[in-house]
Amino acid sequence: MGNQTNKSERVSAAVQSFQKKMNRQSIISFGVCVHCGMCTESCHYYLATHDTRMAPAYKADRVRKLYKKYFDWTGKLLPRWVGAGDLESESDLQELMDVVFGSCTMCRRCTFNCPMGVDKALLMRIARGVLFEQGVAPKGVIDVAKDQWETGNQMGISDEEYLETIEWLTEELQAELDDPTFEIPIDKKNCNIVYAVNPREIKYAPLSLMAAAKIFYVAKESWTMSSKGWDNTNFGLFAGDNALGAHMGNLVFDSVERLNGKMLVTSECGHGYRATAWESPNWTGRDLKFPIYNFLEIMQDYVLSGRIILDSSLVPYKVTYHDPCNLSRSGGITEEPRFLLTRSVAEFIEMHPNRADNFCCTGGGGAMSMSEYAKRRLETAIVKANQLKSTGADIVATACHNCVDGLTDLIKHYKLNMKVKLVGELVADAMVFEKVVAVPVHKVAVPAEKVILIVDDEPDVVTFLSTLFIDNGFRTLTAASYEQAMEILALEQPDLITLDLIMPGTNGLDLYHTLRTDNEFKEIPIVFVTGVNPDNPKQLDHRKFIYEHQLPKPDGFVEKPIDKEFLLMTVRKCLEQKVST
Amino acid sequence: MDANLISFLKHELHIIALAIMFTVYVAKVLWILRFKPMVERTPAKGNERKAIATSFFSIAMPWSMESTRKKWYKWVEFSIFHIGIAFAIITSFMVSFGSVGAIEGGAFQRFLQIIFVASLVVSLVRTSRRVFSPVNRAISHPDDYFSIGMMVVWFSLAVLFVFEPHNTLKMGLYLAVTAFLIAYVPFSKMSHYIMWPFARYYFGKHFGHRGVYPKIKGT
Repeated sequence: MGNQTNKSERVSAAVQSFQKKMNRQSIISFGVCVHCGMCTESCHYYLATHDTRMAPAYKADRVRKLYKKYFDWTGKLLPRWVGAGDLESESDLQELMDVVFGSCTMCRRCTFNCPMGVDKALLMRIARGVLFEQGVAPKGVIDVAKDQWETGNQMGISDEEYLETIEWLTEELQAELDDPTFEIPIDKKNCNIVYAVNPREIKYAPLSLMAAAKIFYVAKESWTMSSKGWDNTNFGLFAGDNALGAHMGNLVFDSVERLNGKMLVTSECGHGYRATAWESPNWTGRDLKFPIYNFLEIMQDYVLSGRIILDSSLVPYKVTYHDPCNLSRSGGITEEPRFLLTRSVAEFIEMHPNRADNFCCTGGGGAMSMSEYAKRRLETAIVKANQLKSTGADIVATACHNCVDGLTDLIKHYKLNMKVKLVGELVADAMVFEKVVAVPVHKVAVPAEKVILIVDDEPDVVTFLSTLFIDNGFRTLTAASYEQAMEILALEQPDLITLDLIMPGTNGLDLYHTLRTDNEFKEIPIVFVTGVNPDNPKQLDHRKFIYEHQLPKPDGFVEKPIDKEFLLMTVRKCLEQKVST
Repeated sequence: MDANLISFLKHELHIIALAIMFTVYVAKVLWILRFKPMVERTPAKGNERKAIATSFFSIAMPWSMESTRKKWYKWVEFSIFHIGIAFAIITSFMVSFGSVGAIEGGAFQRFLQIIFVASLVVSLVRTSRRVFSPVNRAISHPDDYFSIGMMVVWFSLAVLFVFEPHNTLKMGLYLAVTAFLIAYVPFSKMSHYIMWPFARYYFGKHFGHRGVYPKIKGT
């Protein structure tokens, strides 16, 4: 198996791991490439940069060289003749990491444009797995995978926080629907549907879960969420770690069996659906007794069966749809969202190309958790930005939380006047209620006289936030800098802080660091209310900062331009959780 | 060229080359089958058989992939090139195990002349692309250059031979290079056609199972 005597233990282990991971499909994809280059222009990394190192065949060859060395007959005899090569050093591992994590989102667009049928995403995932096993992976990927192993969800959300959020959302929806009997059921047995979500819906983006709950409510569905094994996402897919994949799959499948649910439905998450519905049964080796659906399929069924009625005039916008790679190229879901959107919005306009030919949002393959590659990701996002721009749409709908983040980032970076929404949110907006009760958000119960410290250097934003909070029963304090904030905190401790990350001089992240490491302040909930400086996206690299400094994640995250309702909802959620703890 | 040498090139050498190719191919297929395939445990969402069939026939459907839709001329090149290869092999068999007369005169010889000249032109275009296109250069190894170079040589000899089938020197060179290629192919990138059926089969099976393929037509 080659000379590995001069290699470090880790490099040798990586090479051995590569050899163990071969199966029939992978050796075929490794062996059949003829270097025709037909895949080149299918890749957004290449199209945006015209860097030959970004051509899919070139990237695949960085992995293929190992196949050539250890498996190909000619490669064993004449390695240079066929491009065979080895991993020799730690720097080889780092270089490979840059290729397979930093230059490929495993979107499979090149796979569908290969005349031979080479599945380059499969090769990339094998290499990711090899590296990940040796601890060579972007820190974000390692941390998220660790969270999934340890807590069963990718954001490390505790059971208490999860249940409190569900309880809080229930109260919000009871008020909105004017129905005190409304509930988001937890651990209800024998339901038709067990609904598994993306932890982002619990932590930062509850609107999609609220939309789903409303849709289930109107459709009079028998459904439940589980108190354990509720995360449909799976970093085993991105990390190339089948053991983690099986672990996460088992957690969700166990929940359905424990609750005796008739079917498992995953929320709008591209990789979550792919991992849960298609990969996890293989990883776990389980023959499931229940079917798995995507929420899009369920919504379509409700419309077809008349269980929900949609009125497209209620969403008076021009909307386009971004096909998530894991749904369109790996999950077989392309028509359901179109069925729903054409009935939910005033004007639906196709993006070109679309369906299985669509371009990646640039945030796929776990790219959103790899802050070290954020600059490259945004640079290559020009392809997607141009695609979005040419639609002229007001809203880009999608069916994946990862895509929401990726698209939101690039929309800000390229200054596109466009919002991102999930299909379910638009369907919920277009849904005709038998009894429509409009309840202003400020009628929802708020603990009296809670004090919010607004830290922001923009006077307009401070005025806006102060007015909003005061109108909704809060008292506010304001600071325009790190120093002012510390002065105020020395005099009075607020119940919550909203923090802008981009401020002149010492920035918001430094203040966050100070507050989170100071025993006096570390229990105060902090909500990031911030924008992106397009000239310096690194300034907003809070994920990297938080990981590097081992700080807890913020209690909430609201991006500018500020969505008032979402901000109020986030603030209330944080305050309620603080009270209950 | 000496009659005995021509006879050797036509028969013994050809059979030796074919035996090598056959042996290596069988060994390669057995080697592929040694590896366990990934098996889907889920019920199929799409029609696997239809997807596998579509996957195989995609070779004749340039509209089915964006890459061949946009670079249609590359698909035309591919078609000419591979038809040329097929007939260059058929011609060598006809000459070796039949007679020169079988390809001489009439429409068939004219067809061979056209297809071999066209294939030679395509192989030259492909060679220049491999040398001058930055992307193709970046993804090329010596085997890639040697393989396309051999095709240029082979098609050149096929052209020379098919325009003058009774010239024993041209015939001898053509048969010798054909035999070399037959024996060399299994060890080079040219062996892709052994793996191609497997690749298209598993492509169709995997994506057909998930209801992704055949693709729903995008716009």
